[in-house]
Amino acid sequence: PFLKALLFELRLLDDNKDFVESRDSCSHINKTSVYGLVIGGGELWPVVAFLKNNMIYACVPLVEQTLSPHPPLISISGISQSFELLFGIQDFLFLGQKNDTELNTKLNQLPDLFLQACPFGTLLDANLQNSLDSINFASVPHPQKQPAWRVGTYKGKPQVSISITEKVKSMQYDKQDIADTWQVVGAVTCKCDLEGNMPNVTISLSLPTNGSPLQDILVHPCVTSLDSAILTSSSIDTMDDSAFSGPYKFPFTPPLESFNLCYYTSQVPVPPILGFYQMKEEEIQVKITVNLKLHESVKNNFEFCEAHIPFYNRGPITHVECKVSFGQLEVFREKSLLVWIIGQKFPKSMEISLSGTVTFGAKSQEKQPFDEICIGGTAYLKLHFRILDYTLTGCYADQHSVQVFASGKPKISTHRKLISSDYYIWNSKAPAPVTYGSLL
Amino acid sequence: MSSRHAPGAGGPAPRGPLVARSGVAPETSRLYLGGRGCGTMGPPSRETWAQRLGAFRASPSAFMAGPEGEDLGRDLLIELRSEKLSEQTKVSLLALSLEYPAQLWPDAAAAEAAATSLLDTLVLLPPRPSALRRPLLLAATTVLAAGDALGPTSGASRRLLPLLLGLASGRDLGRGFGPASEQRPLQATACECLRELESCKPGLLGDCLGLLRRLLGQEGPVQPLSLLLALALRNALVIRAKAKAGLQGLLVAGDAPTPGGPWNWALAEEGGAHPQPQAPSWPAAEDEECGLAVLEPSPEEARELRAAVAQLLDSSYLLTPVAQAQLLWLLGWALRGLRGQPPVLFKPQLVRLLGTAQLALLHAVLALKAAFGEALFTAQDEALLLRRLTLAAQHPALPLPAHLFYLHCLLSFPENCPLGPAGEEAAPLLLGPRLGRSLLPSLLHDPMALLARLHLLCLLCAEDEEEEKGQGWSPQRYLGELLAGLRQRADLDGGPRALAALCFQASYLVVRCLATQPLVLTPLTHGLAELYRARPALAPHFVDLLDRVGPELGEPLRAVLRQEVVSRAGRDEALRWHLKILAKVADGNAPSATLGFLRAAAAHCTDWGLQQALLRVCRTLMRAGVREGLADLLQALARQLDDPDGRDHARLYYILLAHLAGPKLGVALGPSLAAPALTSSLVAENQGFAAVLMVQEAPAPIRLSVGPRRAAGPGPVLQLQVEVLEPVFSLELRFRVQGQLYAPLDAVHVPCLRPGRPCSPLLLPLQPRLPAPTQLSVRALYATPAGLTCHAHLPPVPVNFEDLFLPFPQAPDDGDKQGFFEELWDSCLPKGAESRLWCPLGPQGLEALVSRHLEPFVVVAQPPTSYHVAIRLPPDSRLLLRLEAAQAGGVPVALRTDHWAVLPLAGDYLRGLSATG
Repeated sequence: PFLKALLFELRLLDDNKDFVESRDSCSHINKTSVYGLVIGGGELWPVVAFLKNNMIYACVPLVEQTLSPHPPLISISGISQSFELLFGIQDFLFLGQKNDTELNTKLNQLPDLFLQACPFGTLLDANLQNSLDSINFASVPHPQKQPAWRVGTYKGKPQVSISITEKVKSMQYDKQDIADTWQVVGAVTCKCDLEGNMPNVTISLSLPTNGSPLQDILVHPCVTSLDSAILTSSSIDTMDDSAFSGPYKFPFTPPLESFNLCYYTSQVPVPPILGFYQMKEEEIQVKITVNLKLHESVKNNFEFCEAHIPFYNRGPITHVECKVSFGQLEVFREKSLLVWIIGQKFPKSMEISLSGTVTFGAKSQEKQPFDEICIGGTAYLKLHFRILDYTLTGCYADQHSVQVFASGKPKISTHRKLISSDYYIWNSKAPAPVTYGSLL
Repeated sequence: MSSRHAPGAGGPAPRGPLVARSGVAPETSRLYLGGRGCGTMGPPSRETWAQRLGAFRASPSAFMAGPEGEDLGRDLLIELRSEKLSEQTKVSLLALSLEYPAQLWPDAAAAEAAATSLLDTLVLLPPRPSALRRPLLLAATTVLAAGDALGPTSGASRRLLPLLLGLASGRDLGRGFGPASEQRPLQATACECLRELESCKPGLLGDCLGLLRRLLGQEGPVQPLSLLLALALRNALVIRAKAKAGLQGLLVAGDAPTPGGPWNWALAEEGGAHPQPQAPSWPAAEDEECGLAVLEPSPEEARELRAAVAQLLDSSYLLTPVAQAQLLWLLGWALRGLRGQPPVLFKPQLVRLLGTAQLALLHAVLALKAAFGEALFTAQDEALLLRRLTLAAQHPALPLPAHLFYLHCLLSFPENCPLGPAGEEAAPLLLGPRLGRSLLPSLLHDPMALLARLHLLCLLCAEDEEEEKGQGWSPQRYLGELLAGLRQRADLDGGPRALAALCFQASYLVVRCLATQPLVLTPLTHGLAELYRARPALAPHFVDLLDRVGPELGEPLRAVLRQEVVSRAGRDEALRWHLKILAKVADGNAPSATLGFLRAAAAHCTDWGLQQALLRVCRTLMRAGVREGLADLLQALARQLDDPDGRDHARLYYILLAHLAGPKLGVALGPSLAAPALTSSLVAENQGFAAVLMVQEAPAPIRLSVGPRRAAGPGPVLQLQVEVLEPVFSLELRFRVQGQLYAPLDAVHVPCLRPGRPCSPLLLPLQPRLPAPTQLSVRALYATPAGLTCHAHLPPVPVNFEDLFLPFPQAPDDGDKQGFFEELWDSCLPKGAESRLWCPLGPQGLEALVSRHLEPFVVVAQPPTSYHVAIRLPPDSRLLLRLEAAQAGGVPVALRTDHWAVLPLAGDYLRGLSATG
């Protein structure tokens, strides 16, 4: 009954067709991942639950207050603990997971891990991998005064690896009244193999002179102190005009495993690839024109670069007549998808284009891709690309600026890459969904 | 039971984590038992155990109720010492006892025995590394706590507590406690066990605060000791405050209980005397609530307390994030409202905490904010916290559930100076428009994020209205466009139900927040009407929305929807949706258009469902008081509809409409309590208004009594007095005479009766066929103020013999009364009968008796000794009495009647007179 009620709440049961008041009523508004489940006439509340990677994660926290009326979620400490546990389980199951067998092994390990990580229901560590390690390390004599999140010690050659991954998002409209938006989201991942109980490391991120300042910085809990300029640099409203442009220092005691030292966002002056997409419907066929231009400041050396042009809420593609100025075009008829493979480099002109017509067959209800946004002329193309050893902000970790207070001189390696994520170019001949940022 | 129970009672903690592949039951095989079984005889093999535990896990309560249930706990304890089972299997068995202690050992005695057995098993382990020590400690703790067996009289408790404390303090416990390598993990486990016990019996470790502080300062494992110390400290403070006692040096208490020495239960018992402190409600900055204000530590104690807290906070960095968060919550609760404890102690931690993305840590900061308010967070700090929250609520690196939780935190933000009423979601004051705008919803968001952001937007719009109209950017316009986008998505043919639901949820949210803004509501109303035009199949959503919104949106929306529907031709494919809407929105306005639509639609209502829908609209119109034209329509329907049920229904409605006045019709058609239709909607609906139209049996709120006799007029008349307990309208009293002694009686009508307001007596003329007493059975029919018609049986009304007495009207006024009497006397015989009897007299004598009972009938009187009485008995009998020569005790009576059957009645009557006298 619990599972059934949960699936119903999450709209995962099949009987989604008809109006069901207890789920579809306009006053049944859920704004968090916390549910009240009706089970056997009573209500089970709060149930923290979400769906991720085809798994439902659910947990019922202890509430120490009076339950009636429901206290606000913010006042229940168990809510955030539940989220941490579920995120922890999710990381444990899916980080570095390769196949289903491995997943099943991990699922089978969970009961023992819970015994270790929350023996009496009180969560001691949301990092389940640590709990697993501490089971295995049980016979190793533990040193004194060691962080609870640093289980065991490292023995071997000291080395520090830092990799900066930037993802660039964009929404381009090619319209007068709507501004294009783009944003860079960076993550700095570290793996510090250092001996000692509590080695201290300081990593500095630097920007070139014309680099874009890092904003919205969130750090790993192991970071011991933060410059207030790092804390206040925000994309929402810069407190003063002179934005802090680094260097960004992060002193910390590293955990043994690989971890995300910090996340940041940044607003670069131009999007790496600027484009427009025009699509006109003419009965059963559409006319499309695409133009893409790589900005000159961007490193023209891709690992790959593709433009995906999907057609939703239509029949299957029956005929394509398109010309590309560069690269090649692949057609996935049943998926109603065109993929324009651009390759490793843009041509000298930095500008490429595609134009032609696509004809569609009759629409059969089930098979063709459905989308709730791409209705009528509303359509997009999505860019997928990756550039190695490059960041859009220019952000880098200088090997010489890494300070390590531990025995032995560590080998320091740094990596950078830029990948696209949610890089949309919308059909400029039809309405497109806008976020607030585009209205300014 | 006052104590909390393990597992999971050890603090604000998630319990019962559950992972399930979507659509697959969560019962993954929990118990992996490798190896082969050990034969068919002897103790249960591994396979048998696996089967048994599988059955148990499938349904613990069913298993325990079954035949095997009783032995499971006992067998489990025995198996732990078996040498045939692998350690892995034993760990699984222990895991079971951790999960289901209350099922396995349901009462305190069983729990005590089980804990003792577990402790014995622990002591008997060989002194080599073993995976069993930790789970054994955990299990013993759980069993004691869950069985409510923890206490000074429990032997197991007396063994377990010193053992745990010894392990926790890293003391050498000698042989049996495994190799040194296991000491460290066991030390941590012992701390966790102690923490669980402390949370079940607050104050248990009150004596050990000093010891724990020392351990934390030395080399103990930081995290378990910190959490244990924080919990024990919090509990000690709360208990002392409730008892209005000081700290009495608790924090510096010297040595812990010596090994083998008695455990000090004093503080725990003090704690037990006061109910377990629950987590304080939020936001509750009032000091009284947590009661710590009464605790006034001496300067020295205050210093010690500060030192203890600072010690905990300084090493908090070494804890895992979730444990740090627990520590902060505990310390926040502990110190809130405590005098002389400036919360600045927390300050050095804040910058570090605010920089992280960790949900638990930011949440803990919010808890501190709620606990200390301005004392810890200046306005600038508050602004910074809000900025960090806003940032976290949309940071691309964080997962959606975290975003949603941060949005919730923003809407429930514990402000320093809240303006609105407590407990209501509001946009924090310091969340200026700039920050607010960064959280605006867009169609690209997940539904839940969209709703949360939309709520914030609505709150911004509400504020914006109060201030002067903004320059350039208008949140209202943005809101309007967003809603339009949502409607467009809901309009998508064949789109999922969730999209439609989202659109209506958003509309509802907007109406709830912005009910007073026509600038928002007018376009919303028209937009919704357009949506209906495009996709009538959303009718159930519209009906639901109309049910829930107030008149601000409800009324205009009704009007436009009605117009939308009636302007259509009646033979739309969506007819059933139109009818559904119309049944909701039809009213007395423009009935002719509505009736026109219905008339046109009737021809296309070919199946039962449609006809019922059509009739439901008629019903709505009837309730709204529409009469003109409706009667014609109903009559037409009664002839025209194919389905007999529909025809019957139409006819019934027609009859109701024709025969009931407006108010009664309203009541009759009021919301039906009946269950939804089964086979015939007529039957179901009848259950609803049959209650109204039919007469209901009820206990009578009416009392009927017989008033004084009136011996006058042509026939006997009963005077009835009526009293009511509640207002009664249109009362009709119906009388029936038992047997056929009397002619049938007419009913008596009273228009209105109210309690406490007497009405004039009711006169009930009787027409006896024989001069005999009888009983009248009485039934009452009346209407209640609620409009129901009720029927009640009243207690029967007796008609006595004397009630029939009438005087002879033709008795001459003067002269020959004696002669008149003698004439009557003589005329009785020979046809009649004569008798003599002795009528006893009371102390009053004959004169009083006559004047009281027979006065109207006396023809000749010679007071006080002789009376001649002539009584006419309807229909045509007479009774003549001579009462002469009265003596002290009675009077001889000679009586004659022309109807022999009267004699015994008269005799009884006369003999009874003195008794009633």
